[in-house]
Amino acid sequence: MKAVILDGIVLGLGFGLLGVGMTLVYGLGGVLNLAYGEVAVLAAIVVAQAMAGGIPTALAAVIGVLAAASTGLLLDLTLMRPVYRQSGGNKVLLGLLLTLGVAFVIEGVLTWRDPLGALSINVAGKPISILGVPLAVGSVWASVIALAAAAALLVFFGATIFGRAVRSVIQDELGARLVGISPALVRAVIFALSGGLAGLVAVTQSMTAPLTVNAGFNLTVTALIVSVVGGLGSVAGAFLAGVLLGIVDSVSAYYIGRYITSIVLLGAAVLTILVWPRGLLGGGQG
Amino acid sequence: MLEVSTLAAGYLGQKVVDGIDLAVRPGEAVAIIGSNGAGKTTLFRAIAGLLRPMAGRVMLDGRDVTRWPAQRVAQAGVAYVPAERHLFGGMTVKTNLTLGAYPRRPDRETLESVFEIFPVLRERLQQRAVTLSGGEQQMLAVARALMGRPRLLMLDEPSTGLAPKLAKDAFDALVGLKGTGVTLLVAEQQVPLALSVADRGYVLENGRITMEGTPHELDQNPEVRRAYLGVG
Repeated sequence: MKAVILDGIVLGLGFGLLGVGMTLVYGLGGVLNLAYGEVAVLAAIVVAQAMAGGIPTALAAVIGVLAAASTGLLLDLTLMRPVYRQSGGNKVLLGLLLTLGVAFVIEGVLTWRDPLGALSINVAGKPISILGVPLAVGSVWASVIALAAAAALLVFFGATIFGRAVRSVIQDELGARLVGISPALVRAVIFALSGGLAGLVAVTQSMTAPLTVNAGFNLTVTALIVSVVGGLGSVAGAFLAGVLLGIVDSVSAYYIGRYITSIVLLGAAVLTILVWPRGLLGGGQG
Repeated sequence: MLEVSTLAAGYLGQKVVDGIDLAVRPGEAVAIIGSNGAGKTTLFRAIAGLLRPMAGRVMLDGRDVTRWPAQRVAQAGVAYVPAERHLFGGMTVKTNLTLGAYPRRPDRETLESVFEIFPVLRERLQQRAVTLSGGEQQMLAVARALMGRPRLLMLDEPSTGLAPKLAKDAFDALVGLKGTGVTLLVAEQQVPLALSVADRGYVLENGRITMEGTPHELDQNPEVRRAYLGVG
Protein backbone atom coordinates (compact mmCIF):
# COMPACT_ATOMS: atom_id res chain seq x y z
CA MET A 1 0.00 0.00 0.00
CA LYS A 2 2.81 2.38 0.93
CA ALA A 3 4.43 1.74 -2.45
CA VAL A 4 1.13 2.41 -4.22
CA ILE A 5 0.69 5.76 -2.45
CA LEU A 6 4.29 6.76 -3.12
CA ASP A 7 3.88 5.86 -6.79
CA GLY A 8 0.77 7.98 -6.76
CA ILE A 9 2.66 10.96 -5.32
CA VAL A 10 5.37 10.64 -7.98
CA LEU A 11 2.69 10.46 -10.66
CA GLY A 12 0.81 13.31 -9.02
CA LEU A 13 3.75 15.69 -8.96
CA GLY A 14 3.95 15.15 -12.71
CA PHE A 15 0.20 15.84 -12.94
CA GLY A 16 0.66 19.03 -10.94
CA LEU A 17 3.44 20.27 -13.18
CA LEU A 18 1.25 19.44 -16.17
CA GLY A 19 -1.84 21.15 -14.76
CA VAL A 20 -0.21 24.36 -13.63
CA GLY A 21 0.61 25.57 -17.14
CA MET A 22 -2.97 24.99 -18.25
CA THR A 23 -4.56 26.57 -15.19
CA LEU A 24 -2.52 29.80 -15.36
CA VAL A 25 -3.45 30.49 -18.96
CA TYR A 26 -7.11 29.84 -18.26
CA GLY A 27 -7.15 31.97 -15.12
CA LEU A 28 -5.55 34.83 -16.97
CA GLY A 29 -6.88 34.90 -20.50
CA GLY A 30 -9.98 32.72 -20.19
CA VAL A 31 -8.47 30.39 -22.77
CA LEU A 32 -8.59 26.63 -22.32
CA ASN A 33 -5.53 25.75 -24.34
CA LEU A 34 -6.38 22.49 -26.12
CA ALA A 35 -2.99 22.57 -27.83
CA TYR A 36 -1.25 22.33 -24.47
CA GLY A 37 -0.43 18.62 -24.66
CA GLU A 38 0.73 18.99 -28.27
CA VAL A 39 3.18 21.72 -27.21
CA ALA A 40 4.63 19.21 -24.75
CA VAL A 41 4.90 16.60 -27.51
CA LEU A 42 6.53 19.15 -29.78
CA ALA A 43 9.12 19.81 -27.07
CA ALA A 44 9.65 16.07 -26.63
CA ILE A 45 10.35 15.59 -30.34
CA VAL A 46 12.71 18.60 -30.37
CA VAL A 47 14.63 17.13 -27.43
CA ALA A 48 14.72 13.66 -29.04
CA GLN A 49 16.00 15.07 -32.34
CA ALA A 50 18.60 17.19 -30.59
CA MET A 51 19.81 14.18 -28.61
CA ALA A 52 19.93 12.10 -31.81
CA GLY A 53 22.06 14.88 -33.28
CA GLY A 54 24.60 14.40 -30.52
CA ILE A 55 23.66 17.27 -28.21
CA PRO A 56 24.07 16.38 -24.50
CA THR A 57 20.78 15.48 -22.78
CA ALA A 58 20.68 18.44 -20.38
CA LEU A 59 21.32 20.96 -23.15
CA ALA A 60 18.80 19.19 -25.41
CA ALA A 61 16.22 19.46 -22.61
CA VAL A 62 16.84 23.19 -22.26
CA ILE A 63 16.44 23.63 -26.02
CA GLY A 64 13.17 21.70 -25.88
CA VAL A 65 11.81 23.82 -23.02
CA LEU A 66 12.79 27.02 -24.84
CA ALA A 67 11.16 25.78 -28.06
CA ALA A 68 7.94 25.10 -26.15
CA ALA A 69 8.07 28.50 -24.44
CA SER A 70 8.53 30.21 -27.80
CA THR A 71 5.57 28.28 -29.20
CA GLY A 72 3.45 29.52 -26.29
CA LEU A 73 4.58 33.10 -26.81
CA LEU A 74 3.94 32.89 -30.55
CA LEU A 75 0.41 31.59 -29.92
CA ASP A 76 -0.30 34.51 -27.58
CA LEU A 77 1.03 37.12 -29.96
CA THR A 78 -0.81 35.81 -33.01
CA LEU A 79 -3.84 33.52 -32.84
CA MET A 80 -4.93 34.44 -29.32
CA ARG A 81 -5.22 38.18 -30.03
CA PRO A 82 -8.74 37.99 -31.52
CA VAL A 83 -9.77 35.74 -28.62
CA TYR A 84 -8.91 38.35 -26.00
CA ARG A 85 -11.10 40.90 -27.78
CA GLN A 86 -14.16 38.68 -27.32
CA SER A 87 -15.97 38.22 -24.06
CA GLY A 88 -18.10 35.63 -22.31
CA GLY A 89 -19.16 32.49 -24.17
CA ASN A 90 -17.75 33.68 -27.49
CA LYS A 91 -14.32 34.07 -25.95
CA VAL A 92 -14.30 30.55 -24.51
CA LEU A 93 -15.61 29.05 -27.75
CA LEU A 94 -13.19 30.90 -30.02
CA GLY A 95 -10.30 29.97 -27.72
CA LEU A 96 -11.33 26.31 -27.79
CA LEU A 97 -11.67 26.22 -31.58
CA LEU A 98 -8.41 28.01 -32.32
CA THR A 99 -6.30 25.99 -29.88
CA LEU A 100 -7.95 22.79 -31.12
CA GLY A 101 -6.88 23.79 -34.63
CA VAL A 102 -3.34 24.40 -33.43
CA ALA A 103 -3.38 20.98 -31.73
CA PHE A 104 -4.41 19.30 -35.01
CA VAL A 105 -1.70 21.13 -36.93
CA ILE A 106 1.10 20.28 -34.47
CA GLU A 107 -0.03 16.67 -34.20
CA GLY A 108 -0.42 16.34 -37.97
CA VAL A 109 2.98 17.77 -38.77
CA LEU A 110 4.75 15.72 -36.10
CA THR A 111 3.16 12.39 -37.06
CA TRP A 112 3.84 13.14 -40.72
CA ARG A 113 7.49 14.04 -40.25
CA ASP A 114 8.28 11.65 -37.40
CA PRO A 115 5.56 8.97 -37.07
CA LEU A 116 7.58 6.83 -34.66
CA GLY A 117 9.01 9.78 -32.74
CA ALA A 118 9.36 9.35 -29.03
CA LEU A 119 11.43 10.81 -26.23
CA SER A 120 12.98 8.61 -23.64
CA ILE A 121 15.53 10.00 -21.22
CA ASN A 122 17.37 7.30 -19.35
CA VAL A 123 18.67 8.35 -16.00
CA ALA A 124 21.29 5.84 -14.98
CA GLY A 125 21.60 4.55 -11.45
CA LYS A 126 20.28 2.05 -8.96
CA PRO A 127 16.79 2.55 -7.50
CA ILE A 128 16.76 4.92 -4.53
CA SER A 129 14.97 3.80 -1.39
CA ILE A 130 12.50 6.32 -0.03
CA LEU A 131 10.56 5.36 3.13
CA GLY A 132 11.64 1.79 2.44
CA VAL A 133 10.19 1.78 -1.05
CA PRO A 134 12.66 1.50 -3.93
CA LEU A 135 12.01 4.15 -6.57
CA ALA A 136 13.58 4.32 -10.03
CA VAL A 137 16.16 7.09 -10.32
CA GLY A 138 14.18 8.58 -13.20
CA SER A 139 11.07 8.89 -10.98
CA VAL A 140 13.08 10.57 -8.24
CA TRP A 141 14.58 13.04 -10.69
CA ALA A 142 11.19 13.79 -12.23
CA SER A 143 9.70 14.40 -8.78
CA VAL A 144 12.56 16.62 -7.67
CA ILE A 145 12.24 18.72 -10.83
CA ALA A 146 8.46 19.01 -10.33
CA LEU A 147 8.92 20.04 -6.68
CA ALA A 148 11.59 22.58 -7.61
CA ALA A 149 9.31 24.02 -10.29
CA ALA A 150 6.44 24.21 -7.81
CA ALA A 151 8.63 26.03 -5.28
CA ALA A 152 9.94 28.43 -7.92
CA LEU A 153 6.41 29.19 -9.13
CA LEU A 154 5.11 29.78 -5.61
CA VAL A 155 7.95 32.17 -4.87
CA PHE A 156 7.42 33.93 -8.19
CA PHE A 157 3.69 34.42 -7.61
CA GLY A 158 3.88 35.02 -3.88
CA ALA A 159 6.92 37.20 -3.43
CA THR A 160 7.79 39.05 -6.61
CA ILE A 161 6.02 42.20 -7.73
CA PHE A 162 5.51 40.84 -11.25
CA GLY A 163 4.07 37.61 -9.85
CA ARG A 164 1.58 39.59 -7.81
CA ALA A 165 0.78 41.63 -10.91
CA VAL A 166 -0.11 38.38 -12.69
CA ARG A 167 -2.47 37.42 -9.86
CA SER A 168 -4.01 40.87 -9.91
CA VAL A 169 -4.88 40.50 -13.59
CA ILE A 170 -6.53 37.14 -12.78
CA GLN A 171 -8.60 38.80 -10.04
CA ASP A 172 -9.56 42.11 -11.62
CA GLU A 173 -8.14 43.02 -14.99
CA LEU A 174 -9.50 46.56 -14.92
CA GLY A 175 -8.13 47.14 -11.43
CA ALA A 176 -4.76 45.90 -12.66
CA ARG A 177 -4.77 48.34 -15.56
CA LEU A 178 -5.59 51.17 -13.17
CA VAL A 179 -2.41 50.56 -11.19
CA GLY A 180 -0.41 50.52 -14.43
CA ILE A 181 -0.16 46.77 -15.15
CA SER A 182 -0.35 45.80 -18.81
CA PRO A 183 -2.57 42.71 -19.17
CA ALA A 184 -1.06 42.07 -22.62
CA LEU A 185 2.47 41.89 -21.19
CA VAL A 186 1.32 39.65 -18.34
CA ARG A 187 -0.48 37.33 -20.76
CA ALA A 188 2.54 37.08 -23.07
CA VAL A 189 4.81 36.15 -20.14
CA ILE A 190 2.33 33.60 -18.81
CA PHE A 191 1.77 32.01 -22.23
CA ALA A 192 5.53 31.64 -22.62
CA LEU A 193 5.80 30.26 -19.08
CA SER A 194 2.95 27.85 -19.77
CA GLY A 195 4.66 26.62 -22.92
CA GLY A 196 7.93 26.22 -21.02
CA LEU A 197 6.13 24.19 -18.35
CA ALA A 198 4.66 21.92 -21.04
CA GLY A 199 8.21 21.41 -22.31
CA LEU A 200 9.40 20.62 -18.80
CA VAL A 201 6.60 18.07 -18.41
CA ALA A 202 7.78 16.38 -21.62
CA VAL A 203 11.27 16.11 -20.14
CA THR A 204 10.19 14.76 -16.73
CA GLN A 205 7.62 12.32 -18.11
CA SER A 206 10.16 10.84 -20.47
CA MET A 207 12.39 10.04 -17.49
CA THR A 208 9.89 7.42 -16.30
CA ALA A 209 8.38 6.18 -19.58
CA PRO A 210 8.82 7.01 -23.27
CA LEU A 211 6.73 9.97 -24.41
CA THR A 212 5.41 9.15 -27.87
CA VAL A 213 4.27 11.43 -30.65
CA ASN A 214 0.59 10.62 -30.04
CA ALA A 215 0.58 11.42 -26.31
CA GLY A 216 -0.72 14.97 -26.76
CA PHE A 217 -4.43 14.36 -26.32
CA ASN A 218 -3.95 12.46 -23.07
CA LEU A 219 -1.70 15.16 -21.69
CA THR A 220 -4.23 17.86 -22.55
CA VAL A 221 -7.10 15.98 -20.92
CA THR A 222 -5.08 15.27 -17.78
CA ALA A 223 -4.01 18.91 -17.55
CA LEU A 224 -7.64 19.96 -17.92
CA ILE A 225 -8.77 17.63 -15.12
CA VAL A 226 -5.99 18.81 -12.80
CA SER A 227 -6.81 22.47 -13.39
CA VAL A 228 -10.53 21.94 -12.80
CA VAL A 229 -9.94 20.07 -9.55
CA GLY A 230 -7.25 22.48 -8.34
CA GLY A 231 -9.20 25.61 -9.12
CA LEU A 232 -8.57 27.58 -12.30
CA GLY A 233 -5.73 30.03 -11.92
CA SER A 234 -4.22 28.57 -8.75
CA VAL A 235 -0.61 27.31 -8.68
CA ALA A 236 -0.84 25.68 -5.25
CA GLY A 237 -4.22 24.23 -6.21
CA ALA A 238 -2.80 22.59 -9.33
CA PHE A 239 -0.05 20.82 -7.40
CA LEU A 240 -2.39 19.84 -4.57
CA ALA A 241 -4.92 18.47 -7.06
CA GLY A 242 -2.13 16.79 -9.02
CA VAL A 243 -0.89 14.87 -5.98
CA LEU A 244 -4.42 13.92 -4.86
CA LEU A 245 -5.35 12.75 -8.34
CA GLY A 246 -2.03 10.91 -8.68
CA ILE A 247 -2.81 8.94 -5.52
CA VAL A 248 -6.38 8.28 -6.68
CA ASP A 249 -5.03 7.13 -10.05
CA SER A 250 -2.42 4.87 -8.55
CA VAL A 251 -4.77 3.33 -5.98
CA SER A 252 -7.56 2.69 -8.47
CA ALA A 253 -5.09 1.19 -10.95
CA TYR A 254 -3.79 -1.16 -8.26
CA TYR A 255 -7.12 -2.30 -6.84
CA ILE A 256 -9.34 -2.15 -9.92
CA GLY A 257 -7.18 -1.96 -13.00
CA ARG A 258 -5.37 0.47 -15.23
CA TYR A 259 -8.34 0.65 -17.64
CA ILE A 260 -10.46 2.40 -15.00
CA THR A 261 -8.14 5.31 -14.14
CA SER A 262 -9.19 7.72 -16.94
CA ILE A 263 -12.81 7.35 -15.90
CA VAL A 264 -11.97 7.79 -12.21
CA LEU A 265 -10.02 10.99 -12.96
CA LEU A 266 -12.81 12.39 -15.12
CA GLY A 267 -15.25 11.46 -12.34
CA ALA A 268 -13.12 13.42 -9.88
CA ALA A 269 -13.30 16.48 -12.13
CA VAL A 270 -17.07 16.20 -12.51
CA LEU A 271 -17.50 15.74 -8.77
CA THR A 272 -15.34 18.81 -8.12
CA ILE A 273 -17.44 20.97 -10.43
CA LEU A 274 -20.60 19.79 -8.66
CA VAL A 275 -19.33 20.10 -5.09
CA TRP A 276 -16.71 22.90 -5.19
CA PRO A 277 -17.33 24.82 -8.42
CA ARG A 278 -14.24 26.96 -7.80
CA GLY A 279 -11.95 23.97 -7.29
CA LEU A 280 -9.80 23.25 -4.24
CA LEU A 281 -8.02 26.62 -4.24
CA GLY A 282 -9.76 28.59 -6.97
CA GLY A 283 -9.89 32.34 -7.46
CA GLY A 284 -6.27 33.32 -7.99
CA GLN A 285 -5.29 33.41 -4.34
CA GLY A 286 -2.61 30.78 -4.52
CA MET B 1 -1.28 69.67 -15.88
CA LEU B 2 -4.40 68.17 -17.48
CA GLU B 3 -5.99 69.77 -20.51
CA VAL B 4 -9.06 68.31 -22.16
CA SER B 5 -10.28 69.91 -25.38
CA THR B 6 -13.46 69.29 -27.40
CA LEU B 7 -13.57 65.74 -26.09
CA ALA B 8 -16.37 63.42 -27.16
CA ALA B 9 -16.82 59.88 -25.87
CA GLY B 10 -19.51 57.28 -25.52
CA TYR B 11 -20.53 53.75 -26.28
CA LEU B 12 -21.60 51.93 -29.45
CA GLY B 13 -21.30 55.06 -31.57
CA GLN B 14 -23.53 57.08 -29.24
CA LYS B 15 -21.88 60.14 -27.73
CA VAL B 16 -22.48 60.38 -24.00
CA VAL B 17 -20.26 63.43 -23.48
CA ASP B 18 -19.46 65.93 -26.23
CA GLY B 19 -17.45 69.10 -26.65
CA ILE B 20 -15.83 68.88 -23.23
CA ASP B 21 -13.20 71.53 -22.47
CA LEU B 22 -11.62 71.52 -19.06
CA ALA B 23 -8.27 72.19 -17.46
CA VAL B 24 -6.71 71.25 -14.16
CA ARG B 25 -3.65 73.14 -12.93
CA PRO B 26 -0.96 71.54 -10.76
CA GLY B 27 -1.94 71.40 -7.08
CA GLU B 28 -5.53 72.32 -7.78
CA ALA B 29 -8.65 70.46 -6.65
CA VAL B 30 -11.34 70.49 -9.30
CA ALA B 31 -14.84 69.07 -8.94
CA ILE B 32 -17.12 67.85 -11.72
CA ILE B 33 -20.66 68.03 -10.46
CA GLY B 34 -23.68 66.63 -12.19
CA SER B 35 -26.57 64.31 -11.60
CA ASN B 36 -26.67 60.59 -12.26
CA GLY B 37 -26.29 59.93 -15.98
CA ALA B 38 -24.80 63.33 -16.79
CA GLY B 39 -21.70 61.63 -18.20
CA LYS B 40 -19.21 62.05 -15.34
CA THR B 41 -18.03 58.43 -15.43
CA THR B 42 -17.81 58.38 -19.24
CA LEU B 43 -15.69 61.54 -19.13
CA PHE B 44 -13.38 60.04 -16.49
CA ARG B 45 -13.05 56.75 -18.35
CA ALA B 46 -12.08 58.63 -21.50
CA ILE B 47 -9.45 60.69 -19.67
CA ALA B 48 -8.06 57.59 -17.92
CA GLY B 49 -7.71 55.66 -21.17
CA LEU B 50 -10.36 53.05 -20.42
CA LEU B 51 -12.55 54.36 -23.21
CA ARG B 52 -11.22 55.55 -26.54
CA PRO B 53 -12.46 59.10 -27.19
CA MET B 54 -14.45 59.68 -30.40
CA ALA B 55 -13.07 63.17 -30.85
CA GLY B 56 -10.97 65.76 -29.06
CA ARG B 57 -7.73 65.62 -27.15
CA VAL B 58 -6.42 64.83 -23.70
CA MET B 59 -3.08 66.44 -22.86
CA LEU B 60 -1.08 65.57 -19.77
CA ASP B 61 1.84 67.88 -18.96
CA GLY B 62 1.95 68.89 -22.62
CA ARG B 63 1.94 65.30 -23.90
CA ASP B 64 -0.92 64.00 -26.01
CA VAL B 65 -2.23 60.94 -24.14
CA THR B 66 -5.55 60.71 -26.00
CA ARG B 67 -5.04 57.23 -27.40
CA TRP B 68 -2.92 55.76 -24.64
CA PRO B 69 -4.23 52.61 -22.95
CA ALA B 70 -5.20 52.95 -19.30
CA GLN B 71 -2.08 51.21 -17.96
CA ARG B 72 0.14 53.70 -19.77
CA VAL B 73 -1.85 56.69 -18.53
CA ALA B 74 -1.52 55.24 -15.02
CA GLN B 75 2.24 54.87 -15.43
CA ALA B 76 2.40 58.50 -16.53
CA GLY B 77 1.09 59.57 -13.11
CA VAL B 78 -2.71 59.60 -13.38
CA ALA B 79 -4.45 57.49 -10.76
CA TYR B 80 -8.13 56.87 -11.45
CA VAL B 81 -10.32 55.48 -8.67
CA PRO B 82 -13.63 54.35 -10.21
CA ALA B 83 -16.82 54.28 -8.17
CA GLU B 84 -16.74 50.46 -8.20
CA ARG B 85 -13.16 50.66 -6.87
CA HIS B 86 -11.88 47.49 -8.59
CA LEU B 87 -9.81 46.37 -5.63
CA PHE B 88 -8.10 42.98 -5.65
CA GLY B 89 -10.67 41.44 -3.32
CA GLY B 90 -8.97 38.12 -2.71
CA MET B 91 -5.66 39.75 -1.79
CA THR B 92 -4.66 41.34 1.47
CA VAL B 93 -4.73 45.06 2.08
CA LYS B 94 -0.95 44.92 2.08
CA THR B 95 -0.75 43.30 -1.37
CA ASN B 96 -3.27 45.79 -2.74
CA LEU B 97 -1.06 48.62 -1.51
CA THR B 98 2.07 46.92 -2.86
CA LEU B 99 0.50 46.62 -6.29
CA GLY B 100 -0.45 50.28 -6.15
CA ALA B 101 3.26 51.06 -6.43
CA TYR B 102 3.71 48.80 -9.50
CA PRO B 103 6.17 48.46 -11.20
CA ARG B 104 8.30 49.82 -8.35
CA ARG B 105 8.53 48.33 -4.90
CA PRO B 106 6.50 50.33 -2.39
CA ASP B 107 8.67 52.70 -0.40
CA ARG B 108 8.31 53.18 3.33
CA GLU B 109 7.82 56.91 3.12
CA THR B 110 4.79 56.73 0.81
CA LEU B 111 3.33 53.91 2.88
CA GLU B 112 3.70 55.95 6.06
CA SER B 113 2.08 59.00 4.50
CA VAL B 114 -0.83 56.84 3.35
CA PHE B 115 -1.26 55.43 6.87
CA GLU B 116 -1.25 58.97 8.19
CA ILE B 117 -4.29 59.78 6.06
CA PHE B 118 -6.01 56.41 6.60
CA PRO B 119 -4.77 55.04 9.97
CA VAL B 120 -7.33 52.22 9.98
CA LEU B 121 -5.58 50.51 7.04
CA ARG B 122 -2.52 49.87 9.18
CA GLU B 123 -4.64 47.67 11.45
CA ARG B 124 -6.14 45.84 8.47
CA LEU B 125 -2.89 45.04 6.60
CA GLN B 126 -3.27 41.25 6.69
CA GLN B 127 -7.01 41.26 6.02
CA ARG B 128 -8.34 40.41 2.58
CA ALA B 129 -9.82 43.42 0.81
CA VAL B 130 -13.29 41.84 0.42
CA THR B 131 -13.63 41.61 4.19
CA LEU B 132 -13.35 45.38 4.65
CA SER B 133 -16.39 47.58 5.21
CA GLY B 134 -17.55 49.86 2.40
CA GLY B 135 -15.84 52.88 3.89
CA GLU B 136 -12.60 51.00 4.43
CA GLN B 137 -12.71 49.71 0.85
CA GLN B 138 -13.06 53.27 -0.40
CA MET B 139 -10.08 54.28 1.75
CA LEU B 140 -8.07 51.34 0.39
CA ALA B 141 -8.96 52.30 -3.19
CA VAL B 142 -7.67 55.83 -2.65
CA ALA B 143 -4.67 54.54 -0.69
CA ARG B 144 -3.79 52.08 -3.46
CA ALA B 145 -3.95 54.94 -5.95
CA LEU B 146 -1.70 57.08 -3.75
CA MET B 147 0.94 54.33 -3.50
CA GLY B 148 1.92 55.04 -7.10
CA ARG B 149 2.67 58.64 -6.07
CA PRO B 150 0.36 60.03 -8.75
CA ARG B 151 0.50 63.63 -9.83
CA LEU B 152 -3.18 63.63 -10.71
CA LEU B 153 -5.72 61.71 -8.62
CA MET B 154 -9.13 61.21 -10.25
CA LEU B 155 -11.94 60.10 -7.96
CA ASP B 156 -15.29 59.04 -9.37
CA GLU B 157 -18.11 59.41 -6.83
CA PRO B 158 -16.03 58.72 -3.71
CA SER B 159 -19.22 58.91 -1.64
CA THR B 160 -20.79 55.90 -3.42
CA GLY B 161 -22.19 53.37 -1.00
CA LEU B 162 -21.14 55.33 2.05
CA ALA B 163 -23.40 56.52 4.86
CA PRO B 164 -23.58 60.36 5.01
CA LYS B 165 -21.23 60.50 7.98
CA LEU B 166 -18.65 58.29 6.24
CA ALA B 167 -18.96 60.24 3.01
CA LYS B 168 -18.23 63.40 5.00
CA ASP B 169 -15.16 61.69 6.53
CA ALA B 170 -13.99 60.62 3.09
CA PHE B 171 -14.13 64.19 1.83
CA ASP B 172 -12.39 65.48 4.96
CA ALA B 173 -9.59 63.04 4.12
CA LEU B 174 -9.48 64.53 0.62
CA VAL B 175 -9.14 68.01 2.05
CA GLY B 176 -6.18 66.69 4.06
CA LEU B 177 -4.76 65.20 0.88
CA LYS B 178 -4.85 68.56 -0.87
CA GLY B 179 -2.19 69.82 1.50
CA THR B 180 0.24 67.14 0.28
CA GLY B 181 0.57 68.62 -3.21
CA VAL B 182 -1.44 66.06 -5.15
CA THR B 183 -3.73 67.42 -7.85
CA LEU B 184 -7.34 66.31 -7.54
CA LEU B 185 -10.16 65.81 -10.01
CA VAL B 186 -13.35 64.65 -8.29
CA ALA B 187 -16.69 63.74 -9.84
CA GLU B 188 -19.53 63.88 -7.36
CA GLN B 189 -23.30 64.21 -7.44
CA GLN B 190 -23.50 65.32 -3.82
CA VAL B 191 -22.74 68.92 -4.60
CA PRO B 192 -22.11 70.26 -1.08
CA LEU B 193 -19.50 67.55 -0.54
CA ALA B 194 -17.86 68.25 -3.88
CA LEU B 195 -17.71 71.98 -3.24
CA SER B 196 -16.26 71.40 0.24
CA VAL B 197 -13.00 70.14 -1.26
CA ALA B 198 -12.78 71.97 -4.60
CA ASP B 199 -10.95 75.13 -5.64
CA ARG B 200 -12.98 75.17 -8.82
CA GLY B 201 -15.93 73.28 -10.23
CA TYR B 202 -17.53 72.38 -13.52
CA VAL B 203 -21.20 71.52 -13.92
CA LEU B 204 -21.82 68.65 -16.33
CA GLU B 205 -25.34 68.33 -17.71
CA ASN B 206 -26.48 65.90 -20.42
CA GLY B 207 -22.89 65.32 -21.52
CA ARG B 208 -21.93 68.98 -21.81
CA ILE B 209 -20.25 71.43 -19.48
CA THR B 210 -22.76 74.16 -18.72
CA MET B 211 -21.02 76.15 -16.01
CA GLU B 212 -17.65 76.73 -14.44
CA GLY B 213 -16.66 78.65 -11.34
CA THR B 214 -15.37 78.79 -7.82
CA PRO B 215 -17.29 76.89 -5.13
CA HIS B 216 -18.69 80.21 -3.94
CA GLU B 217 -19.91 81.19 -7.40
CA LEU B 218 -21.49 77.80 -7.99
CA ASP B 219 -23.01 77.75 -4.54
CA GLN B 220 -24.65 81.12 -5.14
CA ASN B 221 -25.80 80.29 -8.66
CA PRO B 222 -29.61 80.01 -8.69
CA GLU B 223 -29.52 77.26 -11.34
CA VAL B 224 -27.17 75.13 -9.29
CA ARG B 225 -29.12 75.79 -6.13
CA ARG B 226 -32.36 74.71 -7.73
CA ALA B 227 -31.01 71.68 -9.57
CA TYR B 228 -28.56 70.22 -7.07
CA LEU B 229 -29.06 71.72 -3.68
CA GLY B 230 -32.81 71.41 -3.55
CA VAL B 231 -33.16 75.09 -2.78
CA GLY B 232 -35.54 77.10 -4.85
